[in-house]
Amino acid sequence: MPAAPRRLAAPAIAAVALLALAGCSAGDDPAASPEAGGTLVYATGDAEPSCLDPHVGGNYPQALIAGQYLESLVSLDESREVIPWLATAWTTSDDGLTWDFTLRDDVVFTDGTPFDATAVKANVEHLQDPETQSSTGYLAVGKVASVEVVSPTLARFHLTAPDSALLESLAQPWTAMESPAGIERGMDENCQSPVGTGPFVVDEWVPQDHVSLVRNDDYHGGPADRGRDGAAYLDGIEWRFIPDSASRYAALQAGEVDVIDNAQPDTLAQAEQSGALVEIDAPRPGASNRLELNAGQAPFDDVRVREAFIRAVEVDDGIDSLFFGTAERSHSVLSSVEPTAYSDASLFETSLEEANALLDEAGWTARDADGVRTKDGARLTVRFPVSTNQSIPAEQSLFEQVQATAKEAGFDVQIELLDLSSWYGALFAHEYELVSAPYTKIGPDVLRILYHSDSITPAPSGYFANLAQLSNPELDALLTEAASTSDAQQRAALYEQAQQLILGGFYALPLYDQQNHFLHSTKLSGMRALPTVSTPWFADASLSD
Amino acid sequence: MSELELRAQAGAAGSGPKPALRRRRVPRAATLLALAFVAFLAVAVVAPWLLETADPNAIAPREAFEPPSPAHWFGTDESGRDVYSRVVEGTSASLAIGVAATAIGLALGLALGALAALGGRVLDFAIGRVNEVLFAFPGILLALLVIVLWGPGPVTATVAVGLSTAPGYARIIRGELLSIRDSGYVEAARVLGHGGGRILVRHVLPNALVPVAALATLGIGQAVVWASSLSYLGLGAQPPAPEWGAMLSAGRTYITTAWWLTVFPGLMIVFTTLATTVLGRALTARDGGRR
Amino acid sequence: MSRPSRPLRTIVLRLAGAAFVLWAVATLTFFAIHLVPGDPAQAILGGPGSQASQEALDRVRSEYGLDQPLVAQYGAMLGRLVTGDLGTSYSLKTSVADVVGAQIAGTLLLAVLALALAWVIAVGLALWSSAPGRVARAVSGGIELTAAALPHFWLATVLIAVFATGLGWLPPVSNGAASGLVLPVVTLAIPLAGFLAQLMREHLLVALEQPFATSALARGETAVGVRLRHALRHAAIPAVHLSGWAIGYLISGAVVVETIFARPGLGRTLLRATELRDVPMVMGVVLVVALVYVVITVVTDVVAALVDPRLRTAGTAR
Repeated sequence: MPAAPRRLAAPAIAAVALLALAGCSAGDDPAASPEAGGTLVYATGDAEPSCLDPHVGGNYPQALIAGQYLESLVSLDESREVIPWLATAWTTSDDGLTWDFTLRDDVVFTDGTPFDATAVKANVEHLQDPETQSSTGYLAVGKVASVEVVSPTLARFHLTAPDSALLESLAQPWTAMESPAGIERGMDENCQSPVGTGPFVVDEWVPQDHVSLVRNDDYHGGPADRGRDGAAYLDGIEWRFIPDSASRYAALQAGEVDVIDNAQPDTLAQAEQSGALVEIDAPRPGASNRLELNAGQAPFDDVRVREAFIRAVEVDDGIDSLFFGTAERSHSVLSSVEPTAYSDASLFETSLEEANALLDEAGWTARDADGVRTKDGARLTVRFPVSTNQSIPAEQSLFEQVQATAKEAGFDVQIELLDLSSWYGALFAHEYELVSAPYTKIGPDVLRILYHSDSITPAPSGYFANLAQLSNPELDALLTEAASTSDAQQRAALYEQAQQLILGGFYALPLYDQQNHFLHSTKLSGMRALPTVSTPWFADASLSD
Repeated sequence: MSELELRAQAGAAGSGPKPALRRRRVPRAATLLALAFVAFLAVAVVAPWLLETADPNAIAPREAFEPPSPAHWFGTDESGRDVYSRVVEGTSASLAIGVAATAIGLALGLALGALAALGGRVLDFAIGRVNEVLFAFPGILLALLVIVLWGPGPVTATVAVGLSTAPGYARIIRGELLSIRDSGYVEAARVLGHGGGRILVRHVLPNALVPVAALATLGIGQAVVWASSLSYLGLGAQPPAPEWGAMLSAGRTYITTAWWLTVFPGLMIVFTTLATTVLGRALTARDGGRR
Repeated sequence: MSRPSRPLRTIVLRLAGAAFVLWAVATLTFFAIHLVPGDPAQAILGGPGSQASQEALDRVRSEYGLDQPLVAQYGAMLGRLVTGDLGTSYSLKTSVADVVGAQIAGTLLLAVLALALAWVIAVGLALWSSAPGRVARAVSGGIELTAAALPHFWLATVLIAVFATGLGWLPPVSNGAASGLVLPVVTLAIPLAGFLAQLMREHLLVALEQPFATSALARGETAVGVRLRHALRHAAIPAVHLSGWAIGYLISGAVVVETIFARPGLGRTLLRATELRDVPMVMGVVLVVALVYVVITVVTDVVAALVDPRLRTAGTAR
């Protein structure tokens, strides 16, 4: 999942913190089994997808809703171990080039098409077909040469190179399984109502308003950690699009909706005080939210200037006050939910004196009338395009604080608030020295996407993921080796070395995990966020009165 | 989008007896208050440090969200900055947007309006249609277009707002010019044998411009409000510039917990509109005596 | 009415003018959007940040005629427009006409209700402020100016905080029921009412000084009666002329209001289409809004002519 705009696109986790779940009033019987029935109203602050099939494009808003009607081959449990879902078992050959997936034999898509190896093959081919216009899923199955139908319940993946991230890739909603018959209807129709095997079915999509999902009465199974079988309790879900965060929270308070996502820090603090709402904190997997320093051009091509910037910028107090204690400072480029995340706080200790000394050493000795350092007549300017679709207000305020503290060391940080198209335009034209671009993906392979020098070469669209423009052959070798190393321990060690190189080179200033907070009313119980990419799971949720 | 546009549209029908505005007296106290406020604004523009009690851009995250107090008259914002000092500091940027946008609208409006009124029937009809085209664009779309063309920021916001107000000015200027052209004293000057150019410069323009200038004062506050809506859509002034509209939209997130973040910049916009309007009316009231 | 052919000529000119306005709006929008940086083929292939392959880009370019010269694309667009075809949305891949058709009703309902409410508030304010006495005039004048200076997004937030979250009387977001319309309509109506009231009061005061008002008073009618029966009618004419403009203003406001109250509509469609550089969609919305403006202007001109006999002899070009 490329740069994942908060409202427009992508990341997975485990830390499901259920606060204050004991909301039953005296009249209720908390011991009773969840009542069946009722329609849940879910209000999302993410953008409305332009296609409900997450194979097409592939962004986070699609993942959020697709998790209700599509299922993947595998899932992750709370400890981020891969667990069965539609596939019950898998084996890999010694050379890592062949994977056998044993499939469940009792699953039928909601249009009646049986789920079997032929369907798996059709899905992978759909992702790889340029007509599908897939980005995220396309990259995820990039090393899959073909899928062989050995038997209805055995799908054999042939790879072009060993891929230690294959299972993680297949656990993502962007590679979820859809009915081949549904796919054959063509993109227009499949975008309107993709057909899956999940607990709910797409019933109707009223653009800019809502998507109606109804219960799949025949649903059974689910990810192996589900703990129960059978169809959902809820009759359905009304999936509403409420882009304004204040309105979304007000709608939850007023009881118009039962769950909201993208809850803002100040409202989380309020909700915690009131006790009338329940929070689920599910940071997204993949990369953390971090500022990338563009090492591809001056002034950040000089490691001393990068280090000086990181020494100068104070963010801890700002994160505390702006996020009201709901976000924890990160010192890793990976999300804290990733077991392979490597963190080193000592690299990020701030010191204005050190920053000044480093800049002096790097030749930025003079200061102009505004207090901005200069060198050979050039100002120490740092252009910082910020996507207003992607950065919440609290984050934008934090960036202003970055601007203010960097100024003390003589940096002129120029924040530019841009809409998404203009923001990408600035990146593609390399008109930036600093940028925040979240990226959601399961597993540490995200490091390869973000920091391998291959990712500096732009796609035809101009898109490139290595925004730090980090080009280091040693790092490339580590990341390539890790991607084909199946031994977990060895793999983790390689990723640790890689992260040490990234952090030690001062290419990024980690801020916090990609924030992903849900708030729901106490009427709702049994909701959780799937550990895969932290999307909500409602098959075991129920509403009380 | 200002009162003058409304007047312009209304006047376009040829039905509006317009002199009303000119005859109404403005209470002396109101004029004095308005002058005092404008004087405050003037100081805030020329020498903001005289009025500021703190560095408007100095952050203090640990002192964020403090309500108004003797130390921070208007409280502190989400980064612990002093809201009062930011309001003062933001005066020049905010007024620059208001004044420049109004100037752009007025200049364009003057050109179009004068051509329409004095250029003959065909030109009048053509400009009427051009005006209609401009009116037919929803103002925000015009702004969005200008912004995606040249990128967001105070300059583009100003141009966008200026463009969307131009047709309003054009219509009212045309109306003013027509009524003056047909008025008794121009007729008299013509009878006396004065040339067309002299009549235009000596009689028509001065009489048309004063009421237009008075109406333009209304446009300043409106332009700031407009720019704040663009900030809400994420397309206004760039941080850390403490522009009123941008402050208003940034503070909106915390409206239920920290009302002072939006109320004070909001009051500045309202007071600016009130003060300029009162002065504008005082100006037209004086002008009324000349006719 | 010097010549009998005059009304016909007026109507023909008016319609020709309207057609010109639509053509000019389409042309301006078309070329303005094509000056905007950003590749339409990218917009089609999943928007910014997509990683579409070169083959996919090339195919889309030829499919949508983007490889043609700009003038040819312009011609093709005009040709489609004449037949009523607004094209296919880049981001939604569906017919623009269908999307606009589905969204326009909600926005127009919002705009018309807001206009009606603004009228009610404005008439009330104007009557009050035309009452004798400085206090009424000063207070109502202050209310008008303040109302006109309130940004929609701020007003909406305050109304939600007070009436939805605080008092719990009204839903904070659109919910399909009539109650969900109240706050968005009020949000849009208040600033407009401020404008309209200022305008009406000026004209009301003038009308009250006209001979017909004086003579009505002399006939023994009450001051209130004169205002309601005679003066208001005159004061209303200029405001009627504003209806076209007011609807345009309200649709602009709808961009913000629909976003905050999560209402489907043209405003949100337009904002999203602009962000995604969805050229046909932007064009479709703009044209439809222009059409609405033109229709309302023509209708209000006719209505005003019926209400105000003076207009029948006044010049038509403006």
